[in-house]
Amino acid sequence: MKLARFFIENPGVRYIMYGGKGGLGKTTFSAATAFYLARRGHKVLIFSVDPQASLSDIFARKIFGQGEVEIIPNLYALEVDADRRIKAYGDEIRKRILDMYGFEKVPEEIDDYIKAASAEPAMEESAIFDEVVEIITKGGYDYYIYDLVPLGHALYYLSMSSVYDAWINKIAALRQEMQKYDRVIATVQRKKETSEDKILAELLYIKERINTSSRILTDPEMTAFFFVLTPEEMTILDTAKACSLFSKFNVPIRGFIVNRVIPRNLIRENIPQYLKHRIEMQESLLTEINQQFGEKVLGYVPELDRDVRGLDMIERMAEEMFGDNNG
Amino acid sequence: MSKEKKGSLKDIAKEFIYGMAAHDMTRYALKTRSSMEHLFILITMGDLLGVPILPPYYSLRLLPYIVPQISTWKRRMLREKDLTDALF
Amino acid sequence: MNSLVALIIGIGVAALGYFLYAGYIERRIIKADSKRATPATLYMDGVDFIPTSKYVLFGYQFKSIAALGPVLGPIIALQWGWLPALLWIFFGTFFLGWVQDYASAIMGLRKEGQSFGALSYQLISPRARLILLCFLYFYLLLIVAAFGNVVATMMASAPAIPAAIIALMVLGILSGLMIYKGNMDLIIVTILMVVLSIFSVWLGTRFPITQGFLTWVIYALFFSYLGAVLPIWSYTQPINYISFYLVFIGIVGASLGILIGHPDFSAPAYTTFNISIGPLWPVLFVTIACGAISGWHSLVSSSGTARQLENEIDARPVAAGAMFLEMILALLALIFAASFPAFGDYLNKLKTAGPAGVFAEGMSNFLGYLRVPRTFGTAFAGAIFVILAITVMQLVVRFMRVATAELAGDRIPLFRNMHTGAIISLLLAFLLIHSGTWQYIWVLFGASNQLMAALAFLLISLWLLSEKKPFIFTFIPMVFMFVTTISALFLTSRSLLEKFYTLTEAQVPKGQTPGMARTGNLISALIGMFLIVAALLLLGDGLKVFFKPDKQNGEVKNV
Repeated sequence: MKLARFFIENPGVRYIMYGGKGGLGKTTFSAATAFYLARRGHKVLIFSVDPQASLSDIFARKIFGQGEVEIIPNLYALEVDADRRIKAYGDEIRKRILDMYGFEKVPEEIDDYIKAASAEPAMEESAIFDEVVEIITKGGYDYYIYDLVPLGHALYYLSMSSVYDAWINKIAALRQEMQKYDRVIATVQRKKETSEDKILAELLYIKERINTSSRILTDPEMTAFFFVLTPEEMTILDTAKACSLFSKFNVPIRGFIVNRVIPRNLIRENIPQYLKHRIEMQESLLTEINQQFGEKVLGYVPELDRDVRGLDMIERMAEEMFGDNNG
Repeated sequence: MSKEKKGSLKDIAKEFIYGMAAHDMTRYALKTRSSMEHLFILITMGDLLGVPILPPYYSLRLLPYIVPQISTWKRRMLREKDLTDALF
Repeated sequence: MNSLVALIIGIGVAALGYFLYAGYIERRIIKADSKRATPATLYMDGVDFIPTSKYVLFGYQFKSIAALGPVLGPIIALQWGWLPALLWIFFGTFFLGWVQDYASAIMGLRKEGQSFGALSYQLISPRARLILLCFLYFYLLLIVAAFGNVVATMMASAPAIPAAIIALMVLGILSGLMIYKGNMDLIIVTILMVVLSIFSVWLGTRFPITQGFLTWVIYALFFSYLGAVLPIWSYTQPINYISFYLVFIGIVGASLGILIGHPDFSAPAYTTFNISIGPLWPVLFVTIACGAISGWHSLVSSSGTARQLENEIDARPVAAGAMFLEMILALLALIFAASFPAFGDYLNKLKTAGPAGVFAEGMSNFLGYLRVPRTFGTAFAGAIFVILAITVMQLVVRFMRVATAELAGDRIPLFRNMHTGAIISLLLAFLLIHSGTWQYIWVLFGASNQLMAALAFLLISLWLLSEKKPFIFTFIPMVFMFVTTISALFLTSRSLLEKFYTLTEAQVPKGQTPGMARTGNLISALIGMFLIVAALLLLGDGLKVFFKPDKQNGEVKNV
């Protein structure tokens, strides 16, 4: 309920991300949230760049590389095929070169460079990065739910953002310095205009892209980042660490959702000792979670009896997360 | 620069005066600018040296604009440099 | 001899040289081919290699080769009488000057636009390139010293001029701001600033500024320092740009004066063999460098012009043409000096105000035929002289700053700082100005220049040899240059050493102490001797290659 209330009380939020270690239920929550919001009449896009196609798994449909797929009315899912995108991008660059210079084919060393750059691991990350910016800036949805890859990458992007920004500023300053010399030459040779520095324009475009992404990620009005954790010692420790890191980057952590809580009422029933112990252990850890994160815990989600796959289970999960029985 | 000109006296005089009054400075400005351009290429295409600075996705965006400079860049880098290059 | 007649003869010599001799060499030996691709069209990198119209290049070549050299040399050489100077100007240009300039451009064209440094390394020996750089370095250092000296002498002896120069600085900076920051139209700013500059010359006559020699030396060096470190559009470029128009107007005006007034020379055709600067042979031939033959031009032709020529047949009008035009400029300077009312006046002026004063008065005599008032005319001509000097000085100091950084910057990080390079060069120049004897400095300067010419002729001869073309027309000049210049250096160094050992009180130049004067003479002597050694080494390496053309001392490097 608290989670549901969050959305009512924060109507400005548009970008939602569930983060946490792998396997704790991020995708499940993302899908359920998307489902819930869509059912309430909002147009929702849930997207992922995970090459493992987790959205396809959870919705039990082929979504990977298919563009925006309608799951239920108002709910669209998108799984970006990063490899295909990179290849298409490389071809786009090649074509641009051919057009600009009227070549028959791209010079060999340029082509080699494009191939080498495309194969770099950093290329995949930056391509994904740009794809996300693209999706966000294109607009058309009320809510965007980004199924994030595990913690590390998100932080990488946040930290690199400001570095890239500073670098681009330096490079742009260099280009502007160069423009001054262009002007000397043009003036003295009495040419009326210097051609607009297209490279400078590109640099500013890139800067804008990078800034858009970090702007959005750190805007508390528009973005909500929910941490997913389970009542386990290590998870709690990791989450606490991640929390402080994220807040250093001004990512608006709006709440925590605890997953895989074994239903307490089971304790009254005749259950094996091992299960009783687990429940008791979760008790104490839940207390700890309450102490550490208190107000911000927006929900406790029980361990369901089945894997969450397919629309039915997703609907059930949504009920658990947003329904009345939840806090 | 001059293929189209018919060589009218006025044009010739203009070119001559420009040549005396300003051409050497123009060359100097061009050279200074080009050394900055080389720096720029180095920075953005740093991948070629294994030093990725800009994300490769974005530096690839700049590639089409740098294509003409790359081969001349390489030739300039490899050409034997001389102090007299800086003078003229 | 009549001034107009001399001018007409000069034009005749130029025409003869350009059409007959140069035409012959171009057609028969070089065989310039309009269909052959030039480096500019082949490499077209938009920076160094840019095909450029021959009219622009003619202006560029002329501006780059002609500064104060063709003006100062003849004025000093007149002390031997007008005939030796005239003959050397004519015959020097006719048989040596244009040949070097033109052949250097052609060699640059045919050798993929490589610089003479690289070519010396390849065709003569690795150390030949180093020797060229040494010649170049001394040439530049001595320019700053020699020009700085005459500028300071002029400004100290003609208080009407400084105001104009300072105004020019200010106007130049303003122009830069107006054109590049204010986006004002170039033509409007040009006209405005030129008019204002001329006006400030007049103002200078009203508000003379009297300062000592030392002050003006420091001023000139500071002016150059700024030129070396400030971004060009804010200072150097606009100042040089505006200055050009002033010089152009002055020279054209004075030439018209020759046409109108055409006075006779007052100078005798010949005075004596030995004058203070030295004996006619060999010293005349290093006293007048630019205007007859100057090694500096070979660098302009090869590293500058050759990389911009669109077509091989443009080389003759550009390179040879510019040289003949410079010859006329040198002739004009000679005419200015030789047409004083009396030869004694010339000698007097030379002693009190230096060659600058001679130029100023001489040129204003001719401007007088255009009804230009005397005081204004002298100030204007003097300002032109100073402009010719300082605009070169600031470019040179800028270059030396770059050169220092490049040569020593790796080993001594301090030198990489741009101010360091500039300041060191300026300090060295100051040392030479302050403690050296000017006319010997001029000889050393001329000698380093002529040694570059000797190297150029050597290089070109070797190239022609490798192409199985006749090379006698560059070989003889080469021999002449080596022999004459080394002799001049030898004589001068000996005089300097003598002065070092036996300086009398009376011989100490004004403003120096005996100790200073002796140190200056010693340093100059050392420079002279260093140049002799370098020249001999170069000659040795060159001859080695001549007699064993297959074995070259350096490896062949590909571009």
